[in-house]
Amino acid sequence: MSKSEYFPQRVYVEKKSLDFPLTKRILKNVGPVPSEVIDEPQEVLEDIKASKDVIGLGKKYLLITRQKGEFVKPCPCTPGYLGCSYFILNTDLNCPLDCTYCILQHYLTNPLLTVHVNLEDLWRQLDIFLHSKRHRKIRIGTGELGDSLALDHLTENSVDLVSYFRNKRNAIFELKTKTVNIKNILKIEPGPNVVVAWSLNSFRIAREEEKDAPSVEERIDAAARVSERGFRIAFHFDPIIRHPDWEDGYKEVIDKLLVTVDPARIAWISLGSLRFPPALKTIIEERFPRTKIIYDEFIKGKDGKLRYFKPLRLELYKKIVGFIRKRGGEEIPLYFCMESEDVWREAMGWIPKGEENLELYLSSPLG
Amino acid sequence: MKKKNLSLKEISLEDERFRISYYFSLEKLILSIRKVGLLNPPLIALRDKHFILVSGWKRVLACIKLCLYSIPVFVLEEDDDLKKFLVAFYENFATREFSLLEKAEILSRLKKFGEDEKSIVKHYLPLLDIPSTLTNLESFLAFSHVEPEVKRVIHQKNMPFSSVKLLVGFTPQERKLLLPLLLPSGQNKLKEILEDLKEISRRNDIAPKKILSSKEILEITGSEKLSPLQKIDRIRVILRKKRYPALSSRKESFDSLLNKLKLPEAVMVKPSPFFEEENFSVNFSFGNSEELKTNLLKLQELALKKEFSAIFKLK
Repeated sequence: MSKSEYFPQRVYVEKKSLDFPLTKRILKNVGPVPSEVIDEPQEVLEDIKASKDVIGLGKKYLLITRQKGEFVKPCPCTPGYLGCSYFILNTDLNCPLDCTYCILQHYLTNPLLTVHVNLEDLWRQLDIFLHSKRHRKIRIGTGELGDSLALDHLTENSVDLVSYFRNKRNAIFELKTKTVNIKNILKIEPGPNVVVAWSLNSFRIAREEEKDAPSVEERIDAAARVSERGFRIAFHFDPIIRHPDWEDGYKEVIDKLLVTVDPARIAWISLGSLRFPPALKTIIEERFPRTKIIYDEFIKGKDGKLRYFKPLRLELYKKIVGFIRKRGGEEIPLYFCMESEDVWREAMGWIPKGEENLELYLSSPLG
Repeated sequence: MKKKNLSLKEISLEDERFRISYYFSLEKLILSIRKVGLLNPPLIALRDKHFILVSGWKRVLACIKLCLYSIPVFVLEEDDDLKKFLVAFYENFATREFSLLEKAEILSRLKKFGEDEKSIVKHYLPLLDIPSTLTNLESFLAFSHVEPEVKRVIHQKNMPFSSVKLLVGFTPQERKLLLPLLLPSGQNKLKEILEDLKEISRRNDIAPKKILSSKEILEITGSEKLSPLQKIDRIRVILRKKRYPALSSRKESFDSLLNKLKLPEAVMVKPSPFFEEENFSVNFSFGNSEELKTNLLKLQELALKKEFSAIFKLK
């Protein structure tokens, strides 16, 4: 198994999900991995509960099930800070990568890697959703509660999703990943409204805090190949983390990024500094006892999450925005994820007036 | 299980293998036994020709205090320690709440008597109102191993799980240094001190012992002029400054600016929590319209002062 291709130790198929075409596709693609049909995921959860690292163990098992609720949801964002009006598409839940800071460790109650296979429901729900938003541009993506491409060699979902969205011109569809699992992407026809995005960090943070993820160089190289194939690409510096020599660390990555990919092909870059609910801190301490990233100067923000003391956030943002602008990225749309108006004003020099204003800003280069 | 009368002298109290409670007051029980006698016989087991106590430490100790000669007991005829302990556990389980340290002792005994960890997590943690995870079991097992003097403080302060977990994360030597700081502190201060110390230590790779032995802290702990509470407060401030240097410095600048402005006593100017928002708030109270006018006038004068505008640089 290469670092970029995840295979579970075992696949659990919920009985009622057996007959879906996607189930059959996954079972074919996992090859010799043992699989088991179960009545309820609860059976598996009871078994792994007594493990020391339930979250880590959950990543080793793949659960095939149906989405019983809504596939499309507004991104929950965070109260008290500016939102970006994003919609999330929950096809897969959880991620095989094991980043120290990952919010999913706290957010998801089910630790199993989960794929929802009732795609007919997905297309139907999407049709209704996009019709209801037909008078505006919306951004939607699969990379919020999972990595968009980490399981793509098993599900091949990217092929179906890109085909679906290619003709839906009021939507900008984003696949967001830390992997280099781009085989399927390179085979399919790009769409002007389809963006493939990578989460990036300094080389040091990626090495020390993004366990099992490909290196930053590999991610940037993958982005360059996808861009050459004709897709628009995007990047997320999120979470930006203060660490010794962080200025050099982020400058180095931005330099590498903007000489490797054509800035004109970059749809947007988002910036967000490390933030987390207090309960995640306990989980991180238990699962990653050697990390120091949670012991910086965090204060309780307006949303109750821990975030860097504002002057420290501003320092991070101003430097990184400066690095991007000076390195040839003057025209790249930049935005903050979950930041306040005064941070926007001070670090970016403008404040989006409402969510639609931000949508317009981010979607304008995509036509 | 047989019921019999047994002389108190025949019960060996040295064998504490089944004991889960250490810190309790006997007063009410003594009064109750004096009034109506011992209605609920303790559980006893025979081991190496000695009668050892399985359950009912409080009852037996109260009877000893009352100088009773003999008491009714139930003798368990079970050979297996785990089975004997489970009798004691379920007897108590039905009648009272267990304290945090008792829960720790119960889990530790279950493990010692051969119950496997998976079964403890699955069956016993929920009975004790502890979420069923191995990490929680490990935390409670660690609680049961701390020094008796630390356990006494945990009990005295009725420390919550989160604070005990922090305390147990230090070495026995560090805990010894910490005990005098913990005794006079309230729950919140206690947790703050432990948390700051741990986090400064982890972030800066300095042993907590070294931080506690720094000159500035030793000067405070060694002072004869300061009361225990004053010592705690000063140490707390030192740790806060080390843990949150930028925020502490911002707070100091803000306070020093307000001092220079000499605000009227009744008026308070406050930044938003952690300076996260751009706004400041002014708070004052008044008893009549004259006081209201005076305060408003003083605030108006204040707003015109050049020095006052400096606070807006601190947002």
